[in-house]
Amino acid sequence: MPGRLSRRSIAQYIATGLVEGKSKTVLLQQLAGFLVDTRRTKEIDLIVRDIEFNLAEKGYVQATITSAFDLSAETKKALEAFVKQETNATQVSLSSLIDESVLGGVKIAVPGREIDQTVAHQLTVLKTRFKKA
Amino acid sequence: MNFLSQFAHGAAEAATEVTEAAHETAASNDLFTALGIDWRLLILQIVAFLVLVALLGKFVYPWLMKSVDARQDGIEAAAKATAEAQKAAEENKDVVAALLAEARKEANDIVGTAKLESAELVSASEKKAQKVAERIVADAHDQLNKDVANARKVLYNDTLELVGLATEKVIKTKLDKKTDSDLIASVVKAAK
Repeated sequence: MPGRLSRRSIAQYIATGLVEGKSKTVLLQQLAGFLVDTRRTKEIDLIVRDIEFNLAEKGYVQATITSAFDLSAETKKALEAFVKQETNATQVSLSSLIDESVLGGVKIAVPGREIDQTVAHQLTVLKTRFKKA
Repeated sequence: MNFLSQFAHGAAEAATEVTEAAHETAASNDLFTALGIDWRLLILQIVAFLVLVALLGKFVYPWLMKSVDARQDGIEAAAKATAEAQKAAEENKDVVAALLAEARKEANDIVGTAKLESAELVSASEKKAQKVAERIVADAHDQLNKDVANARKVLYNDTLELVGLATEKVIKTKLDKKTDSDLIASVVKAAK
């Protein structure tokens, strides 16, 4: 009976597959099948995060952009360029998230890092950093 | 003493006279009988009286006189002592007056010193009380300053909260897609 496959190995396999251009659907089905078979479905979030890390190491960065309003194509382009510059990635994939509670501005989350330039965050900083103890 | 001796002597003479009279009147027994006097009994009584006088003179009177003399001596001695005491008192009057004057002076000195010391004590107490009062006032000032500082801090924090809330409200109403895009662009530009 083979030993338990580590999360890192699984993530590396999937990331490599994605980079090599294998079918996303096939890779996802394989991953889902494996997790169900080994009863490790609870690890899915951690595995996805590890895959993102692996992809980032290979120059493929998945960035999550959170903003209060839907972003224009121009803004998205600017953000993509910004993420590329910041992470030295060769390819950047943006996923947008609308959250009105951020009021304005943008929050960029890349594997292992987060840049929060939202108005809500700035206000929180104002209220906490300048608050006298 | 003299009086008793004279009395005894007189009594003896009287007894002698009575005896002679008895002899003289022996012849005239009829007179005694007529008067109802028993001359034998009379003589016996006279002898007994003389014996009594002699005994008193021999034993009682000397002792009595001695005690009277002793008492008189005592009274005289007491009078003499009184006189001497009076004299001594007279003599000591000046000394007593001087002592009294000295005592008065000492008493005045003591009273003066006591007044001075009490004044010093009062002064010291006043100074101490003043110092304590000053300290209390200083503490109160410090506490007041601390309270004011705390109140300012609370006010500052509350103001900060209010500013934050107000800004949030204003931004919520004023920020639109366009301004948000501009804001993001400026953020990206600043980050570069």
